[in-house]
Amino acid sequence: MRPKVLIIDDEADVIKYLTVVLKSNGFLPYSINSVKDAKAVVEKINPDLICLDIMMPEETGISFYAKLKRDKILKSIPVIIISGVVQAGEFDFRSYLSDSSMPPPEHFLEKPINVEEFIGTINKLIKSGNSSKSGGNA
Amino acid sequence: MKSNNRVNPPRRLADMIYEELFHQVPFNVAVIDRNYNVVEANKNFTEYFGNWKNKKCYAVYKKLKKPCKDCPSVEVFKKGKPIVADAVGVDQHGRKTHYVGHVFPLRIKEGGRVEYALEMTHIVTETDRWQQEYQILFDRVPCYITVIGEDYRIVRANEAFRNNFGEVLGQHCYKVYKRRTTKCPNCPAAKTFRDGRVHHSTQLGMGKRGQDINYAVSTSPLMRGSDNIAHVIEISNDITALRKLEHQVIEAERLGAVGQTVAGLAHSIKNILMGMEGGKYIVSLGLNKNDKEMISEGWEILERNFEKTTSLVKDFLSFSKGRLPQLKMIKPGFLAKEIVDLYKDIAAQSGIELKSEIDKNVKSAPLDPDGIHTCLTNLVSNAIDACLMGKQKGTEVIIKVSEGRDKLIFEVSDNGSGIDYEIKKKIFTTFFTTKGGEGTGLGLLTTRKIVQEHGGKILVDSQIGSGARFRMEFPRKRLMALYKEMK
Repeated sequence: MRPKVLIIDDEADVIKYLTVVLKSNGFLPYSINSVKDAKAVVEKINPDLICLDIMMPEETGISFYAKLKRDKILKSIPVIIISGVVQAGEFDFRSYLSDSSMPPPEHFLEKPINVEEFIGTINKLIKSGNSSKSGGNA
Repeated sequence: MKSNNRVNPPRRLADMIYEELFHQVPFNVAVIDRNYNVVEANKNFTEYFGNWKNKKCYAVYKKLKKPCKDCPSVEVFKKGKPIVADAVGVDQHGRKTHYVGHVFPLRIKEGGRVEYALEMTHIVTETDRWQQEYQILFDRVPCYITVIGEDYRIVRANEAFRNNFGEVLGQHCYKVYKRRTTKCPNCPAAKTFRDGRVHHSTQLGMGKRGQDINYAVSTSPLMRGSDNIAHVIEISNDITALRKLEHQVIEAERLGAVGQTVAGLAHSIKNILMGMEGGKYIVSLGLNKNDKEMISEGWEILERNFEKTTSLVKDFLSFSKGRLPQLKMIKPGFLAKEIVDLYKDIAAQSGIELKSEIDKNVKSAPLDPDGIHTCLTNLVSNAIDACLMGKQKGTEVIIKVSEGRDKLIFEVSDNGSGIDYEIKKKIFTTFFTTKGGEGTGLGLLTTRKIVQEHGGKILVDSQIGSGARFRMEFPRKRLMALYKEMK
């Protein structure tokens, strides 16, 4: 069964790009263009990984990330932040999280992405997510 | 007898008057003979210097055992003319006392030798102390003080002033303060001479080494009773350091904005690059698979992002145009009305009411009309978009113009979708847009740049779902300073 990856980004071109990349690399991509109702979508799809943009209208990726990590079930889904801002340099993601105990995202990728790095990261995260899940079940 | 009676009363009256005068006159009066003996003294004298009978004057005045070297009475005995002298003595309680003595010659026979000296002393110990205190205050107070006459010449200047502006007595104040040859326009001293009131202003002067000196001056009238104002006292505080600090803060803000602008530009370019990479990837994949539909999709993405690049470059060039604000004295309310007139129909078509609220107390201000027009257009355009995004009914956008504490305030508020906290933090710092492909994210950054060029700042206040309020604050002092600099 192909691993499910949910793309959350308000840019249609980015969604199209990532969808094609994921499809051609053996993943099953889903996409939404805003974080409004994203939690319900995540619950329904139960993705293996989420690609999340930060700057989106109405609600940002950061507040959605916080919601996700506060959820007992959904918090185990690995998240890759894909953004045009450079983390730590001009943008410190963790400083925007009101809860300091909240874990940082599993990975951070800068736009434009390197396809190989992107796919490699997803494979690694899904693999480690699965092994920790199976470890947890054991 | 009758005639005698008529003559006697005036003589007795004269004696009485003399007696009364001698004792009540507000001086210490004593009569000294040629051998320094005090032969007569009034009550004031006795109360002040103590018992004088059978004593020498130097023993009474100064508690000395031999005559003073600079005895004024000796001078009077010698020259036969009255003199005035300052002296330091000791009162009957042993306290040091300062007094001014008026010494007159007394002759028994007209034209004869001077037999006695009449000494009238006035105690000035308190006055002297006050004068010293005043002098210390005048010289040491950490501000400049000058007294100028009706001809604008400086008649007095304190130490702080002399140290920075040099020895200036008799010179015209405008020459000393500003190296001018004519009176300064808006001279606060001239206003005080005219209306007798206290006036305040800030000025730029030139020190004795040619350095700029910024000072805040207040002018007060110096007059006796209801006479005309003969002098004006100018008290100025050197605010040069404060001004420098203010400039440094503005400069730091400007440099900060430049850094953020570069970072923001990089962010926008990266987003476009991501789109281009995407287009290229899809075209390439389509070519490999010989999938025309895929090639076409990828090509569209490429085209769209090329357009975005063009649009970004245009916006960036307009943003980076290094132009100083072209300040003109205008009515701020007029600009707000202009924007409402321009956009109210467009807003109404989307069911949004655009209106202005202008406080009656708002005074004219030096502003760059084009710049503020751009700011208001950007803010109103964002507010309308926020209203559309919120999809609520009865939405409105209000431009308010008011006077704050020494500042001019423009506010653009809406009851649209509001701004998330995280967005609020980023809003002015990158080419941030919530409009997806529609906006370049330069509107608010441009607005902030224009506001900062006016020496002002922009603040945002918003909660998600309850609208937003953008507030542009322009300190009037900064506006005036820029206006003067520009002139």
